[in-house]
Amino acid sequence: MGEVILTMKGIDKSFPGVHALDHVNLEVRAGEVHALMGENGAGKSTLMKVLTGIYKKDSGTITYFGKEVEFHNTREAQDAGVVIVHQELNMVGDLTVAQNIFIGREPKKGIRIDDKKMIEDSKKLFERLKIDINPREKMKNLTVGKQQMCEIAKAISHDCKLIIFDEPSAALTEKEIEDLFKIIRDLREQNMGIIYISHRMDEIKVITDRVTVMRDGGYVGTLITKDSTKEDIINMMVGRVIYEDPKTHSMCPPDAPVVLKVEHLNAGHMVQDVSFELHKGEILGFSGLMGAGRTETARAIFGADPKQSGKISIMGKDGQLHEVTINNPQDAVNAGIGYLSEDRRRFGVVVQKSIIENSTLACLDEFANGPFINKAKEKKETERLIKELATKTPTADQLVMNLSGGNQQKVVIAKWLIRNSDILIFDEPTRGIDVGAKNEIYKLMNKLASEGKSIIMISSEMTEILRMSDRIVVMCEGKKTGEIRIEEATQENIMDKATRNIN
Amino acid sequence: MEKIKQNPIVKKIGFNRVILICVLILMYVAFCIGIKGFAAAGTKHLLNTMNYVYFLGFLSLGVTFVIATGGIDFSIGPVMFCCALVGGYCLNSYKMPLVVDIIIAILIGLVFGIFNGYMVAYQKVPPFIISMASMNIAKGAAAVFTKTQSQSWPLSTDPVNGWFRNIVSYNGFPVGLVIFVIAAAICGIILYNTKMGRYILCLGSNREAVRLSGVNTKKWEMSAYVMCGLLTGIAAIFFVSAYTTVQPGYGDQYNNEAIAGCVMGGTSMVGGLASILGTVIGVFIISLLQEGILALGLGKDIQLIVTGIIVIVAVYADVTARRRKN
Amino acid sequence: MTKKKSLLNDQRYIALLIAILLMVIYFIFSKEFRKYSSILSMLDFSYYDMLMGFGVTFPLITAGVDLSIGTGMVCYALVGGTLIRNNNIPVVVAMLICILLGCAIGLLNGVLIGVMGLAPFIATLSTCMITRGIGSMCPATPWPTLQQPGGWFHSIFKLTFGQGRGAFKFPIGFFLMLVLMFVMEFVLNHTKFGRYTIAIGSNREATALSGINVKFYHVMVYVVCGFFTGLAAIAYAAVTPTVQPGTGAGLEMDAIGGVFVGGVSATGGYGSIIGTFIGVMIICLLKTGLPYIGLQANWQQIITGVVLIVAVLIDIVKKRRAAAH
Repeated sequence: MGEVILTMKGIDKSFPGVHALDHVNLEVRAGEVHALMGENGAGKSTLMKVLTGIYKKDSGTITYFGKEVEFHNTREAQDAGVVIVHQELNMVGDLTVAQNIFIGREPKKGIRIDDKKMIEDSKKLFERLKIDINPREKMKNLTVGKQQMCEIAKAISHDCKLIIFDEPSAALTEKEIEDLFKIIRDLREQNMGIIYISHRMDEIKVITDRVTVMRDGGYVGTLITKDSTKEDIINMMVGRVIYEDPKTHSMCPPDAPVVLKVEHLNAGHMVQDVSFELHKGEILGFSGLMGAGRTETARAIFGADPKQSGKISIMGKDGQLHEVTINNPQDAVNAGIGYLSEDRRRFGVVVQKSIIENSTLACLDEFANGPFINKAKEKKETERLIKELATKTPTADQLVMNLSGGNQQKVVIAKWLIRNSDILIFDEPTRGIDVGAKNEIYKLMNKLASEGKSIIMISSEMTEILRMSDRIVVMCEGKKTGEIRIEEATQENIMDKATRNIN
Repeated sequence: MEKIKQNPIVKKIGFNRVILICVLILMYVAFCIGIKGFAAAGTKHLLNTMNYVYFLGFLSLGVTFVIATGGIDFSIGPVMFCCALVGGYCLNSYKMPLVVDIIIAILIGLVFGIFNGYMVAYQKVPPFIISMASMNIAKGAAAVFTKTQSQSWPLSTDPVNGWFRNIVSYNGFPVGLVIFVIAAAICGIILYNTKMGRYILCLGSNREAVRLSGVNTKKWEMSAYVMCGLLTGIAAIFFVSAYTTVQPGYGDQYNNEAIAGCVMGGTSMVGGLASILGTVIGVFIISLLQEGILALGLGKDIQLIVTGIIVIVAVYADVTARRRKN
Repeated sequence: MTKKKSLLNDQRYIALLIAILLMVIYFIFSKEFRKYSSILSMLDFSYYDMLMGFGVTFPLITAGVDLSIGTGMVCYALVGGTLIRNNNIPVVVAMLICILLGCAIGLLNGVLIGVMGLAPFIATLSTCMITRGIGSMCPATPWPTLQQPGGWFHSIFKLTFGQGRGAFKFPIGFFLMLVLMFVMEFVLNHTKFGRYTIAIGSNREATALSGINVKFYHVMVYVVCGFFTGLAAIAYAAVTPTVQPGTGAGLEMDAIGGVFVGGVSATGGYGSIIGTFIGVMIICLLKTGLPYIGLQANWQQIITGVVLIVAVLIDIVKKRRAAAH
């Protein structure tokens, strides 16, 4: 490891209602891979956004190559040699790969953009990365994995000294990750500083030199990777919060009837020939890496996206399975399915409206006399559920945007409970929810299952999967790669299936 | 200031609406003081203002529904003219009974509303494009149908059909105002107390979340445009009962005035938030403003410019308010 | 799959076919249309639509729109004409003023949309009214005719050899438009401005994160549109004996309709100036050609509206199909 190239000291950043960063420190040396770890919402991405000038810090200092700096936008950061490979893809779909890589710094011949040179240079970059992408292809025609590789190519094509990878491996296959690590080692050889954000403990051990851990927007500490164990890091990440132990056996009786049966479901590239069964009172975990097609499967079942083929059967009132046609969410809701999206603000709640309006959205008919809404009735019912779910709010008229993530999730749960849905699909039920509220959501889910609701839980957090599921379906690249009973499930055998390419 | 904001009545109406009412009153007072003869002319200017309020009010109420969904309809002005022209042509050239003509006019508005709504909700054509197209079609259709002749509707002196003027005023009593207030109240009830209104407001705020709640968003989105079309047809009737004659090829400017009234009243262009009371006050302000400008001896040109600026300011205020919240 | 692009997948070829088909129909059914003077007059009235079309292609690629171009064009022509008549300024200065005014209103639109964040249609609908108001303050003004001093500017679009009835007229404007078309196609595809226009239309957020000053380029898009509207004002003055105040509303539709027919995507991110050229040609053929085959001129408005919807629907259906694959 070489000299210190970046020091961030006492970085503080608040958003209305959230203290996102609380005096965070970070130090990166030349020629090291520095892991930045922490749970979802720990503030890793925010810290990087402060560094690259997307957010303005409230206080603290950033020292870069011995000088105090403050970048005002990504351009200034790039010019100084700090580049970021974003977690969300930042691609201009209508431009070609080469045009995307060189956007903002196109080589020119007079006033004309030198597209030929751009394509040549892109080819060279891809050769260096040993990936096969046609630079003339439009970005929107590439797969997510390839788009991610283009992002990386774009980042290293800058004359950079500090490169930030924000969960780069989430959408990559095993082989692509290996390639990525080769590239990263290569960059380290060239004495660059590398910040590597990831959730995956195994990767951290393999590729990084030091680890800085963050928790709830605060700085916890920095460790030297090879001198510390997995447990050390995990303890720092989770802090004092005690997690419940993993489930050791299924809570769902073995003879519980099947309430949902999906057979040979196909929907686009991301859902290929998926079949599974869901039993009454069961929590069925869906595990896999980002981009494995779990959300797509859920959306296809729910009718949110079109599907090409597949048979879906649901248990009717008579206790028998009946095939149902689900072409849109209406059909699904009428069949008794409720979907709780991973992205609550976009797909779950109407933030500008009140708790009442959100809670009764799925079954307004029940609260209406003809066209008119019975406001007293809906208020009463909403208040009942606020009490039942222990939603923290002064009144039922509160706008949902003023609630915390956990309470917003409760509003969505209330919506489906009022609708009396029997099958609930929780997509990343605790994403963006703080640790305390997480436990409440878990308890709630267990309670719902014990009351006879059947739950599909999609989760990227291994602890969550192991703690909650009665049975686990694992997906990889749009295919179901395995089904594991909770008694046999381990982190290792799930991961093995989640990264297995069954071609 | 905080104290006023906390007052229960103010809270109920909304602080911004209270300010708007003050603006309206202040404007009237300013006109009375500043423009010679404005007050002296007695009710003349007020009646003129009212005549403007009636048709513009219906247009504005209609477009409030559309804007609440996060859409836009700026074909309403030309469509209103199309309704009035075709209805007038049926009356003048085909000698159809007046009631039939009125129904035809309203139906045409409805048809445009259905068409716009279907295209936006079911075919996903961006609303501004469908507005442009409908505007052209309405203008062209009216011109073709009437053979580019302007159409006059009966005067109050007309022995057979004069009765229809009574919808605006009956022996000096402003019947139009009563009708307009009732219509606004009905719109308010629809928007705040029915499923349709609830769905329109929610989908304007977050369409995808509403769809994923199992609501037929297409149907309800379309209903907003249909409502707008219906009210545009009614606006046409009030336009001709106040101004008698319509000319083909015009009507554009009323788009902007209707939208101005609506946006000024606190309906957000991004959708999800709408205020019927705000729209009503906004319409009064726009109408009084145009009367004041005319009374000042200034032309239509100044009025166009002022309305344009009002829309920009009102929309910008909404944009910044929203940005601050996030 | 993408390699085997059928010609019919490119809307521009379909548009070209339609344009040719329309001409053939006119040729067969109308004796009038076969005359050189008819074609000349059709071209005369196409230039301002064409220029507006070139300009408005850029906002449309960014998924925006400029509704102020119609009234704006008339407004600039009125201001220019009034200055020539009342203040005796040289025609060349009046032309410059037209262009400057165009750029100024374009700048206003750009700032409202790109910097202040107003929705394009609402911002430009407002400036549409404002320019109409400003234009209405001017009297109805004729620009100098060809014979009058300063009438030379007509020759930009139409060269006249000889005098009186026997004069031979040559539509130089058409070739000017062709040159402009290639220039702007180059600008769109091979310069930073063009590339960032497409990028903003495709994904403004990502473009900004790439370190590009999107606000600047977003404003420039509308300035360029305004610049072309200024040029259009000159072309408009050249063919309109007396520019009437209060008119111009609806003229933007011909240009915008043409651009959509030319294949610009309704959701932004794709457009072509060659497409615009063909699209506007179709609209102009409809506009001036319908009376030749016995249809009232007002049908053109209806047809333009329908054509606009059909063009946009084609784009939407295509996208929907691509998404389903």
